[in-house]
Amino acid sequence: MASFSVKECDLEAILPAKTLETRVPQAQVERTIAPAPSRYRNELSKYILRRSHDCVHCGKCAEVCPYGVHVRKEGYKLFCEPQSHLCIGPACEKTKHYCVAACPQKALQIVENPMTQFLGDYRWTADLILATWRMAETGHVPPAECGFEHRVGNSGGGFDKLRFKFPDKPPVNVLKDQIDTSIELNRRGDGRPQVRIDVPWYGGGMSFGSVSNVTQLSKARACTAWNTFTCTGEGGYMERMRPYDDHVITQVATGLFGVREETIQRVPIVEFKYAQGAKPGLGGHLLGDKNTPAVAKIREAVLGISLFSPFPFHSVYSIEDHMKHLDWIKHINRRALLSTKVSTPNDVDMVAVGSYAAGSHIIHIDGGYGGTGAAPDIAKKNIAMPIEYAIGRVHKFLEAEGVRDKVTLIASGGLRTAHDIAKAIALGADGVVIGTSEMVALGCVRCNRCESGRGCPRGIATTDTELAAKMNIEWGTQRLINMYNAWREELVDLLWRFGMRSISELRGRTDLLMHLDYTNDVEQ
Amino acid sequence: MDTQLIEQLGHSRKTLADACGYLQTVRKGEEEGGCGVVGFCCTEPVAGRHIYEPSKQMHNRGNGKGGGIAAVGLVPEQLGVSREVLDECYMLHIALLDPKVRAEVESEFITPCFDVTASAELNKVSDWKSVGDLEVKPPDVWRYFVRVKPKTLDAFIQANEFASMDRREAEDEYVSQNSFKLNQKFYASLGQQRAFVLSHGRNIMILKVVGYAEAIVKYYKIEDLKAHIWIAHQRYPTKGRVWHPGGAHPFAAMNMGLVHNGDFANYHSVSEYLKQRNIFPQFLTDTEVSALLFDLLDRTYHYPLEYIIEALAPTTELDFDRLSPERQQLYKAIQTTHIHGSPDGPWFFIIARNVAREKKLQLIGITDTAMLRPQVFAVCEGEVQVGLIASEKQAIDATLQNMAKDDPRICPVADKYWNARGGSHTDGGSFLFNLQKDKTGRIRMTCMDKFGQAVPMPRTTESCDFTKDVASLRHDRAVQERIDAFLRDGNAAGLFEHLRSGMPRWSFDVMRTAFRTLADRGSAKENTATAIEVFTLLNDHKYPTGAKRRSHILHILRTELDRLFRSLPRITATDPAFGSYRLIDLKTAGALRAPVKGETTLVIDAAGFIAEGDRCDATLLFGAYMKGWRRFITFDLHGQRFHGCGLGPDTDDVTIDLYGSSGDYIASGIDGMTVTIHGNAQDQLGQIIKRGKLVVHGDFGQTFMYGAKGGSIFVLGNGAGRPLINSVGRPRVVINGTCLDFLGESFMAGDPLNGGGFVILNGIRLDEDGKIVPLPEPYPGSNLFSLASGGAIYVRDPHRKVVTQQLNGGKFVELAEADWELILPYLQENERLFGITVEDLLTVDGKPCKPAQVYRKVTPVALKALAKVAALPGKEKKQVAAKA
Repeated sequence: MASFSVKECDLEAILPAKTLETRVPQAQVERTIAPAPSRYRNELSKYILRRSHDCVHCGKCAEVCPYGVHVRKEGYKLFCEPQSHLCIGPACEKTKHYCVAACPQKALQIVENPMTQFLGDYRWTADLILATWRMAETGHVPPAECGFEHRVGNSGGGFDKLRFKFPDKPPVNVLKDQIDTSIELNRRGDGRPQVRIDVPWYGGGMSFGSVSNVTQLSKARACTAWNTFTCTGEGGYMERMRPYDDHVITQVATGLFGVREETIQRVPIVEFKYAQGAKPGLGGHLLGDKNTPAVAKIREAVLGISLFSPFPFHSVYSIEDHMKHLDWIKHINRRALLSTKVSTPNDVDMVAVGSYAAGSHIIHIDGGYGGTGAAPDIAKKNIAMPIEYAIGRVHKFLEAEGVRDKVTLIASGGLRTAHDIAKAIALGADGVVIGTSEMVALGCVRCNRCESGRGCPRGIATTDTELAAKMNIEWGTQRLINMYNAWREELVDLLWRFGMRSISELRGRTDLLMHLDYTNDVEQ
Repeated sequence: MDTQLIEQLGHSRKTLADACGYLQTVRKGEEEGGCGVVGFCCTEPVAGRHIYEPSKQMHNRGNGKGGGIAAVGLVPEQLGVSREVLDECYMLHIALLDPKVRAEVESEFITPCFDVTASAELNKVSDWKSVGDLEVKPPDVWRYFVRVKPKTLDAFIQANEFASMDRREAEDEYVSQNSFKLNQKFYASLGQQRAFVLSHGRNIMILKVVGYAEAIVKYYKIEDLKAHIWIAHQRYPTKGRVWHPGGAHPFAAMNMGLVHNGDFANYHSVSEYLKQRNIFPQFLTDTEVSALLFDLLDRTYHYPLEYIIEALAPTTELDFDRLSPERQQLYKAIQTTHIHGSPDGPWFFIIARNVAREKKLQLIGITDTAMLRPQVFAVCEGEVQVGLIASEKQAIDATLQNMAKDDPRICPVADKYWNARGGSHTDGGSFLFNLQKDKTGRIRMTCMDKFGQAVPMPRTTESCDFTKDVASLRHDRAVQERIDAFLRDGNAAGLFEHLRSGMPRWSFDVMRTAFRTLADRGSAKENTATAIEVFTLLNDHKYPTGAKRRSHILHILRTELDRLFRSLPRITATDPAFGSYRLIDLKTAGALRAPVKGETTLVIDAAGFIAEGDRCDATLLFGAYMKGWRRFITFDLHGQRFHGCGLGPDTDDVTIDLYGSSGDYIASGIDGMTVTIHGNAQDQLGQIIKRGKLVVHGDFGQTFMYGAKGGSIFVLGNGAGRPLINSVGRPRVVINGTCLDFLGESFMAGDPLNGGGFVILNGIRLDEDGKIVPLPEPYPGSNLFSLASGGAIYVRDPHRKVVTQQLNGGKFVELAEADWELILPYLQENERLFGITVEDLLTVDGKPCKPAQVYRKVTPVALKALAKVAALPGKEKKQVAAKA
């Protein structure tokens, strides 16, 4: 009974036949970047381009505008409503293609959209939301002239106060297409499979019940395309997820809803959710309204009743209980890598090294900035240690213990952009888990009504069939694939500016960061 | 003690701390999680090698970063001192992390103030690396037998105004303060630690290492050192590259050593509480703080043990209400004063003490009010008495097995195993064993709970003489012939009945030869199945035994059953002529193969297998399942885990029978198979169990069936805390005993009358003759079915003892005809499995009753907090409303 490494063909040797029978052919999803415009007729925009009745439909504006704001459909005489979300705003004035100036009738006017004052919040500013939409639509970072601040929000702390100290020019010239953004998830050398993901992030756990089928499947498909992972959350393993088994992390969370042996046996990674940074000490909860017949069925619970997951695991009150818990899952799934997800209490460093000692491959620390509307406001940001402190602390502690290279450190909790990801890695993480950004890419406006009534008015975080029908899987998949691509491009650019060949070179390079409150460096 | 003395003591300690330059900031140096703890006491002195086995057994509860042992009640001759010196002198054990520092330590803290009767360095192995299981070289340990010089003590008493204090207590205080000073100088205040006091009590020795506890026995060569009480600890610190054992357990206070399994949530609050009382920790772990806390309540406030336990683990909720009015008043005062010093969070203490003023030795186990750590107590009665406390039952079994090898008067099966109910009005969450001389001068053991109530022991007293070899005994021809006759007919039930009815009359010798005959005959292929079944019935059932100890009978038949299993054909034999059973063990594991025609059952000898991982016996079982085996017997278990796990969906054709000390997580996640545990079970059984059957012929431990989805489960005995939390779907459970607390919290298993789940709680026990006896209360704890939204609890409660206050979100409803129809088949299966008849269950105080008079149903109430239905679409809203 020697240790082993599992390949696809070896599954028969380690999975009971009855489990193998439940395995379906694995879906392939192309990693193609294609436009995925808003699913609403008029996308929210930063600026509004107004066309007055003085317009004579001469077509001059459409001639000068390189962004496609002015559209006259084939065979029509009149112009459509301007595609304002493509307009770069007053910054255009300095260019040669400024339609307002070009208009012979002076019929055009650009004004700031008053809606942007109410869209988003300090963490997710209107700029960030609009920029993320743009990335999800086009697959690329919005051009500078659009004027979006797409790197940071305006929270006055956390990642918003950190900046990179870029050299004036790259110290070494690296070809961008040779830059590696992949990370290895199994560093224990324990004979379990090596699992490498192409981008240094994977998707966070959102259960069926908290988000719709379409949302969950779009995430799974995008992760398949990008050779990374999505996570089931704790509400059970949807049958529809099975074609994506190889890119799914299934959760063993404190409620144990929908956890069965074959769901554990299906996947390459199992995540133990001890706590969420957005609400440490509270456990998951799904309010009665969202416990629809379908949810009640998959969780095998009573319809319409609020479902609370306890905190903590009732079976785990110590590190040695935790080890036993991991051993159990390792016994059930002989190829799985195990991830331990914890929030960031003051002794998170000790928790992390303890989890490593207990046998985790991945230590996932979840800070307090994240959380959807379902997490109580009183808990969000107010309990857990800010993630940017926790990462450094855990990274250094693991180094001091001599085990840093034996474990993968994953950070999460309010990471919104490629820049946030890069900062987390520079602070010491190997990679990150993202959550809200994916929702934004699918059209989330951060209204914080995820938990109320039938759930999300945009049909993302809902189990209501009418609301969920507002989105289709192909569109959702494309939006996410696009956003991933934009992020990766940005990471590659960032590494290129530092002259680095691989994302792993960035890990722990706090010397490349500065904090706006504690530095005399001039921001570049 | 009068308050003035208490204040003077405080003043004295404060002055001392200030003089030593103690830094007053509260901090915690090390974190640790769960650990393995074990302790035992015996009326005969027991050699150190017997703490080796249980420590080894708990290896996987530690991580090799700290282990320790304590011995109380040593033998003077072995230490080269007189009885009087051992009883009267303080035994200073000083760890020299830097051997060069000894002269300095002695000249400053030993010779000026103590009369030293004897001193020596503890023996040790010359090459520490040869011992194994050690991370760094253990410290040199010096032992001194000392008394405080009379003049020094006089001066101390005068300077501190202790004149009214008992002189011995003043001496105790001097010794404690001297150790504090020594530790402060050579340990706490330095950048580098050079020496510290391991223990300073009378007739007590503490040793610790950076490594596993069992290594201590080898390194300090104490295999043969004898003591009446031993405790050991496997540590699992999670921080720091530990290079010296200062933070390892046990922690010493005057005349005591304490080991701890758990982790306080309120270390800072407790430290602050101690600081306000002028007690200053030096080693920055919550275990040290626990020892200091106990010492404060004992030596400064002179509290009786009951008060000390109350201050540590307060009685709460319904349990408090059920105390007598006098006790309520008293406990309220204790809680008001000491609640800030009460450790919060998971903890379990084992304390070994020398209560010198009462001339007794004491072993205590205390659990926290919420019972968040596992704990088992056991007792072995007889000429030699043994009391045991451990975090896992297999540590107890290992200890007894090992001790029985040395002393045949000790039976490897204990007479009684039980759990404490934390902070309860019934046992107070604590039990203690006292060793004291009786009138004839013999040391005898008594066992009592927090309230001083003696723990009832089995009334049978006749012991088996295990010194006799079975082979040498004369066989009773008539008995043999009857056995053969039953075997010829394959009549297991008849043979069981025959043996059972003979039990009260037969001598141990007749019984042993009968069982030996059965085991020998069983190795013949035509008899194997019948013989196994007969042994199993004898093992699982209770029946009158005359005056003979049931524990001894169990030991005999289990030994013979193991013998039978080991006589079966090996896996290497492929000839179908050998019958349908095949034996596999650690040595032959590599020869595992698919079954050939006629082979049905794989018998796994678990001896020597590790508890988990790729080389554990449950992995072997999994491998055998993959190769096509479907029926399994695993025997001689020593706490191995995960049996039945990982076999995946639809395993209806699989059966697993487990014999010995089964471990944690058995039958978790099973989907269809039948798992039978022939004895007590451990923690975390049946997690997320989906479907299938689990039978436990004994008690079960913590967090039974957490997140269960289904299955039919039958339990003969009691459960520990937190069973069936977050269960959904359709689990159907019969528990014949009761559970400690939180039974069925957040139960969400639908409507039992429409395919949902339920628990039948019978609240009974079987007496020694196998008769049904109702428990004093069917459910003694709080939080029955709390916050449940589905399912039901059917509790056998003819006298209506369970009250509404015990429910938190449940309500009692009348048992309907449909309910009885639902549960009757389960009670009938219960009858078949355990012999607990439905008729007996429906008999109350000798009179037959109707089901509705005997059983009560607890159903969920629709809590506003749980049912927010306002926004559901109309049709679903109606559905929900209909259910509520």
